[in-house]
Amino acid sequence: MNNPLTMLGDGFAHVLQGGAIFHAFWAVLIGIVVGALPGLTATMGVALLTTLTFTMGPQVAMLVLVCVYVGAIYGGSRSAILLNIPGTPASAASTLDGFPLARQGQAGRAMGISTLGSWFGTLFGTLILAMFAPSFGEFALQFGSYEMFWVALFGIIIAGSLSGGDPLKGYIAGFLGLLVATVGQETNHAYPRFAFGNADLAGGLGLLPVLVGVFGVSEVLNAMRGPAVKAVAGKIDSVIPRLSDVTQYWRTILRSGALGTFIGAMPGLGEDIAAWTSYAAAKRASKEKEKFGRGSVEGLMAAETGESACVPGAIIPVLTLAVPGSAPAAVLMAAMMIHGLNPGPMLAITAPEFIYQIVAMLVVADVVKLVYGLILVKPLLWVLLIPRARLMPVIFVLCTVGAFAITSRLFDIWVMLGAGLVGFILRELRFPMAPLVLGIVLGELLDKNLLRGLVLTGGDVSPFFTRPISMALCALTLLAVAWAIPGFVPRVLGLFRRRRVA
Amino acid sequence: MDRAPLPPRVDLYTAAVLLALGLGVMALAWRMPTFVEQSGTGLTAPGIVPGFHGTVIALLSVLLALRAIRRGALRGDVAHPPAWGKGDARQLGTAAGLGVLYAGFLVGTLPFWMATALFVFAFTAAFEWPEHGARRPRRLVEAALLGLAAGGAVTLVFERIFLVRLP
Repeated sequence: MNNPLTMLGDGFAHVLQGGAIFHAFWAVLIGIVVGALPGLTATMGVALLTTLTFTMGPQVAMLVLVCVYVGAIYGGSRSAILLNIPGTPASAASTLDGFPLARQGQAGRAMGISTLGSWFGTLFGTLILAMFAPSFGEFALQFGSYEMFWVALFGIIIAGSLSGGDPLKGYIAGFLGLLVATVGQETNHAYPRFAFGNADLAGGLGLLPVLVGVFGVSEVLNAMRGPAVKAVAGKIDSVIPRLSDVTQYWRTILRSGALGTFIGAMPGLGEDIAAWTSYAAAKRASKEKEKFGRGSVEGLMAAETGESACVPGAIIPVLTLAVPGSAPAAVLMAAMMIHGLNPGPMLAITAPEFIYQIVAMLVVADVVKLVYGLILVKPLLWVLLIPRARLMPVIFVLCTVGAFAITSRLFDIWVMLGAGLVGFILRELRFPMAPLVLGIVLGELLDKNLLRGLVLTGGDVSPFFTRPISMALCALTLLAVAWAIPGFVPRVLGLFRRRRVA
Repeated sequence: MDRAPLPPRVDLYTAAVLLALGLGVMALAWRMPTFVEQSGTGLTAPGIVPGFHGTVIALLSVLLALRAIRRGALRGDVAHPPAWGKGDARQLGTAAGLGVLYAGFLVGTLPFWMATALFVFAFTAAFEWPEHGARRPRRLVEAALLGLAAGGAVTLVFERIFLVRLP
């Protein structure tokens, strides 16, 4: 009964019933279009589409959102290759070699490489998810309140350390997110924090309105300033991928897949870091270093495989710890909660089959993405030519609907507007958004487990530091902070070297 | 990551605002009831967690301020290139103003499709107005058609197909 292969088969059977393929096709298409359009991110796509899934069953809803997520991360490479503008931040590394290839008259080949790399990446990550998520989920059952507190804090710290280039601002953004999550009634005494007598504020700031504001409204504002981007549409060669591109760079594909999945599984890091890391690793190991940045097939393959492998990777901690691995995964997790699927350690007991259903959904999305990658060339070019003055108001309308729909409160629209303006200002001040989102999503987890831990011990904080897993997580958190302190790592390494010499 | 770094003075002002926020949150958290009678220990007091967050934000903002000062925030002679291009503020103001007008006031007052049609028309027309002097009437008609289509399509897709309640 609990044989993984049987459960995987059941997962596919469950996912493929009742018009699933139809849903997969339209959802991946929307994802690709959202990803391809500069200014619309995967996070925004998943947040907006969550609204459409309210009346769907949880399984269909998850399929739709997973498809949008997978499609959007892939779609970003189209504009990276054709316009030299990453459609989503995840595709920034793809511009380095994708656009030079396009300028050399090999745009079709570049798109073929991106399609294949992305397909292999998601497949690789999904395989890792299928192999390790169930056993890691069982391991996570040992996590008590103390450990979950550290998991949440570690997520904020690692995201702050690595996601924006400025760790200090990353930490501040993370704690601002945690603070936002405390607004409204708390769970122990139903005391309305920071409500100031307002009934709407006492109900808390909705996760979806805040996320739609931060990723939708602020993106619209950002897209509308500055000169409009001129699309370059030239003649495109064949997009059918060459087998030689795969056989020649299979090592790069495997390395990037592993790196992308690992980075995805780290809380809050996300696809952009996965792509950059895979790219850097490929460059370091390459025999053709000089080609990188000038149209290297290997470089593009590494970036695409890394970013797409990150998608299943980012879902691993969602399913096992209720901690998202990336910003779009955070919205996906919020959608799971909205649909009554409670991700986290208990999933291994309450619904172990759900992990395999997610695996099946990822595989379906990946195959549909491959199909679109091969056939969807000209129509996507037309989409890229839509002027922003016509696209952005429609996106803004969708944001408004998305914010309102979940609880039908006009207050949520104001929350969206406020979050959008604050998000825009924070972005202008160079605060990274990933830790902010992680803070908002993890706020309740941290809050509940810190207080529960304190109550269990009668105020004694020592179990937070002395239980084995807690101690390890605490050490990792401190290490992540130390890593971000300028000059710390070279100094420590120097100390070791000096000792060895002595 | 790909943008020019901010002048240190901006970070100093940001740190001041964040410090005020952190201290304000700490003060509010301190004034929250502790519910000692109900819990027996006071360890479930609602102020503990926000107080912790407020304290961390305040401490980090002090670090941000110190870093900004070390980078020359107090030196007045350093010239920095403007962060925004010409016309950016106007474009941003137009987009934000129209967005607030639509989401904050028109939605809920007018029927949703009408509010949406008006907003999309106004937004598109406002941004295409300076770009196409000779073809302006045509652009305006296109903007109006786009507005009507957006209003109709969003209402139809969300309300009728996906059964989502609209404002």
